[in-house]
Amino acid sequence: MAVSTHAPVADKRLLPPSKSLIGLIRPDTSTGLVDWLTTVDHKKIGIMYGGFALFFFLLGGIEALLIRLQLMYPGGTVVSAQTYNQLFTMHGTTMVFLAVMPLNAAFFNFVMPLQIGARDVAFPRLNALGLWAFVAGALILNLSWLFQWAQVFGWFTPVSGQMDIVPAIGWFGYAPITGKNYSGIGTDFWIFGLQVLGVASLVGSFNFITTIINMRAPGMTMMRLPLFTWMTLITSFLIIFAFPAITIALVELMFDRFFGTNFYHVEMGGQPILWQHLFWIFGHPEVYILILPTMGIVSEILPTFARKPLFGYPMVVFSGAVIGFLGFAVWSHHMFTTGLGVVATAAFSLLTMAIAVPTGVKILNWIGTLWGGHIRFSVPMVFALGFIWMFMMGGFSGIMHSAAPADAQQQDSYFVVAHFHYVLIGGALLAILGGLYFWVPKIFGRMMSEKVGYIAASAIIIGFNVAFFPMHYLGLTGMPRRTHTYLAGFGWETWNFVATIGAFVLGIGVLMVIIDLIRTVASGKPCGSDPWDARTLEWSLPSPVPAYNFAHNPVIPGRDAWWLHKYGKKPEQEIEYEKTGPEGIHMPSQSWWPLVSSVGLLVVGVAMALHSAGVPYCGYVAIGGLGLSVVSFFLWALEGPGGYHLTPPDDGDEPQKVLASYTPEPSQKLELTH
Amino acid sequence: MMLVSTLKRCFVRAFLAGLSFFLLLCVSGCSFKTKQSSLDPKGPIALAQYDLFMVTVWVTLFIFVTVGGALLWVVWRFRQRPDDDDDHMPNQSHGNPLVEVGLIVASILLLVIIAVPTLRVLVYTFELPEDEGSKLGQWYQGPLTEEDAETILTVNVMGYQWWWAFEYPQLGITTANELVIPEGKVVKLNLRSADVIHSFWLPKIAGKVDLIPGRANWMWIKADEPGHYYGQCAEFCGSAHAYMLFRSDVLSHRDFEAWVEYQKKDAPEALEVSVAAGERLFAEKTCIQCHTIRGNQYAMGIKGPDLTHVASRKSLAAGIMDNRGVDGRIDRLKQRENLFEWIKNSQHIKPGNLMYHDDAGLKTVPLSDDDVHKIVAYLQTLN
Repeated sequence: MAVSTHAPVADKRLLPPSKSLIGLIRPDTSTGLVDWLTTVDHKKIGIMYGGFALFFFLLGGIEALLIRLQLMYPGGTVVSAQTYNQLFTMHGTTMVFLAVMPLNAAFFNFVMPLQIGARDVAFPRLNALGLWAFVAGALILNLSWLFQWAQVFGWFTPVSGQMDIVPAIGWFGYAPITGKNYSGIGTDFWIFGLQVLGVASLVGSFNFITTIINMRAPGMTMMRLPLFTWMTLITSFLIIFAFPAITIALVELMFDRFFGTNFYHVEMGGQPILWQHLFWIFGHPEVYILILPTMGIVSEILPTFARKPLFGYPMVVFSGAVIGFLGFAVWSHHMFTTGLGVVATAAFSLLTMAIAVPTGVKILNWIGTLWGGHIRFSVPMVFALGFIWMFMMGGFSGIMHSAAPADAQQQDSYFVVAHFHYVLIGGALLAILGGLYFWVPKIFGRMMSEKVGYIAASAIIIGFNVAFFPMHYLGLTGMPRRTHTYLAGFGWETWNFVATIGAFVLGIGVLMVIIDLIRTVASGKPCGSDPWDARTLEWSLPSPVPAYNFAHNPVIPGRDAWWLHKYGKKPEQEIEYEKTGPEGIHMPSQSWWPLVSSVGLLVVGVAMALHSAGVPYCGYVAIGGLGLSVVSFFLWALEGPGGYHLTPPDDGDEPQKVLASYTPEPSQKLELTH
Repeated sequence: MMLVSTLKRCFVRAFLAGLSFFLLLCVSGCSFKTKQSSLDPKGPIALAQYDLFMVTVWVTLFIFVTVGGALLWVVWRFRQRPDDDDDHMPNQSHGNPLVEVGLIVASILLLVIIAVPTLRVLVYTFELPEDEGSKLGQWYQGPLTEEDAETILTVNVMGYQWWWAFEYPQLGITTANELVIPEGKVVKLNLRSADVIHSFWLPKIAGKVDLIPGRANWMWIKADEPGHYYGQCAEFCGSAHAYMLFRSDVLSHRDFEAWVEYQKKDAPEALEVSVAAGERLFAEKTCIQCHTIRGNQYAMGIKGPDLTHVASRKSLAAGIMDNRGVDGRIDRLKQRENLFEWIKNSQHIKPGNLMYHDDAGLKTVPLSDDDVHKIVAYLQTLN
């Protein structure tokens, strides 16, 4: 290896500048903005994932509030029909791909390596690519708004007759409405945005799987993994199996739009129904990609505040896996009204009912966890309990949908809107906010305001129910979804009005959380390393967590290792540590290439959409962008593994006991010296 | 401290006031018999779907009460009380296989309660009652009368952006946006789409089935009592999806026969001068390129709705504009206003529709108010 081996230093800023194999200086000693842009630290990447996701979450929330304002009264004129269709398309796409998924990814990134006793993820640079590709995909999607405004001001006009520059096809993009005859370049922004987001999700998932399989601390067997890590693993598998389906569907759609193929063109023998199958064989596992991590979060919060282990841990893990498997066998329940025939409909109907069983197991086990516990109330706990309650209600309407003939009345009505918002706001969002309150003390070493937290939690839970419970009624009395307005006299006026009020209360609650989060990061009250008296390994580390996570590798005595360490009666229940040698802790080098290659992907996406709009030379720009990505991937491969060594502080302000007699195995020595 | 407790009291009061207002709304604002309600079934399919829905409601309500009750009780019973020791260590039990397996078995049993009627209704609604395969369905609702089984009325439903064509191939008539069917008879609907995916939803008569280009979907319906029913496209189909409504008139047998006879007639000749002027404008302003009026030898277009008996329809523009007066019959004055408004401002009323646009949807045909009045006068003779 041509890379020089540094002597270990206490701080990376003390490192001498080192050249990579291609002769460029690696930005290891950088600080400030450059440090963040080139970082490979899973904690910083997790924080940035969270920051970007919260920004897009606010954007999606604003879109939602505009939707609710438009529907407040019959015949609403807040926005035009086309703008409304763009709003609900972008709201759905944003909330699924740019808010909930990356918020989950933020927790995966930050928490999972700490929970398994690892010093970073398996492929640190790939992790950075995951982040920046996500940002690139999100920008491709949302830059369409800028072009739409430019069109309003007359600065930009696509040559085709279709004027929707922001996608207006629904987040599901059913063919043939995505064809060139029916939609404008918004669809192209959407195709490329989702493709790039798919890259981000896939590299992240491969990384997490490798990390969990290979980088667990000694003694951390699979059945000792914290539940959140288990759900990370299952979710990552779901992503790598589900995303290829939508990738193929999107490639076919792109070929239809750019190169004149006929995958979805009926008049040339194509089949629009093909899109639905491909989309939902991705789309239904996607639902579990959104919800399984949040089940993991709740499974961490409840035992902590009940001061009891999770009830039926193997059953909860196993039911998560079963949900993952069955998630691939129920996609056609999104298509009960497409005329699949008796046999297929019956099969998917029964399979959908079957998936209620492992989901129910989780709820029952959470109640079992609380049973006999010593329940302390806190903001994370309020969110977690709210999650169980709201998710359960979303599950009930899910069971109603599983009865296919009854679903014929519910499909594409506001009843479905109510259902999946109960699962995704009442479920995913409440758990994510609970996770935020739970882990922010670990991430930033500061406590969020409890008072603001309680008020915000009440506003969110009450506002959410006021907004979405009436939608069950609206749907059953015949209000279809994705309609930009409705006529007076159908009995929908009162509850649409009420729903809008509720949506704003919900919005205020979310805003309170985000403002308090910003305040906490800037000037929150510092807290100890384990403010909740929690159970898993991340709470054994100081807050904020040092760059190398564990000064000495922990040896895990059992499930809920930190809890055992604190309260175990026997000496073998204490966490032991493998003392780090004088060679120090090996750290990965930072790199520009994940960021640069993502910029290339961003250029490809925007340029292809503009090419479709007839802007000259955009095809060449797209090729240039692709070239930039390819070149940076090559340089990435050529710059070499790099790496440097840090010495942990002598005393180790970690609350841990180092066994002086411990000598590392030869193989581990090798690993440390790289 | 005073202030805090006062604030707390205010908060509790506001909360209670809000809650009682909410409950009041629930009582007053929740009619299940609204125009387009699926909870007010008027045909066997909607009824079967409604009954199945109620089964799911009762089962989930039972789970809600037991599981939700258990959750509330557990949180209340095992909460930390103010005088409790902070460091109290509860029993560290981590599972009980017997309890876990028992609960799984119980939830499977509860799902079977839903699964059995689901399969029954599925077969009943998916198979035409005359089919051999639908014996199970017949057993569920009782067999059809012989007369029904022999002569099933077929209607070809064609979905366009954003209106409906209803063609009666056995009778040789075509209408738009108003499906007229006889009471108490099985009607088979062939569902086809001309452009993108639509979905046929007539909640009081039947749940929805999609109209997918390239697929031969169909459904059967039956209406139990005469009346005027409301339906709507339920699949997102482009910018004016919200305006793709339709109506269904269910008539008694005698009225239906009369309606059919009437619809079979061609449009009357334009005799009056003003009407003839309208007819001429209808041709000059290119309306004929898209609309058919049987009896008008020039109007043979097929892109737009058939207007042969447009003045006999109770609504206009795919159900958005109501032509009826308070008595439920067509109000000629209202109809004239609606027609004028629609022809004059159709892009404003239903943005993106193809009315008097060329294929690219860009060029419009100029129409003066006077022209529109004449065309309306002509159209109003087409009843």
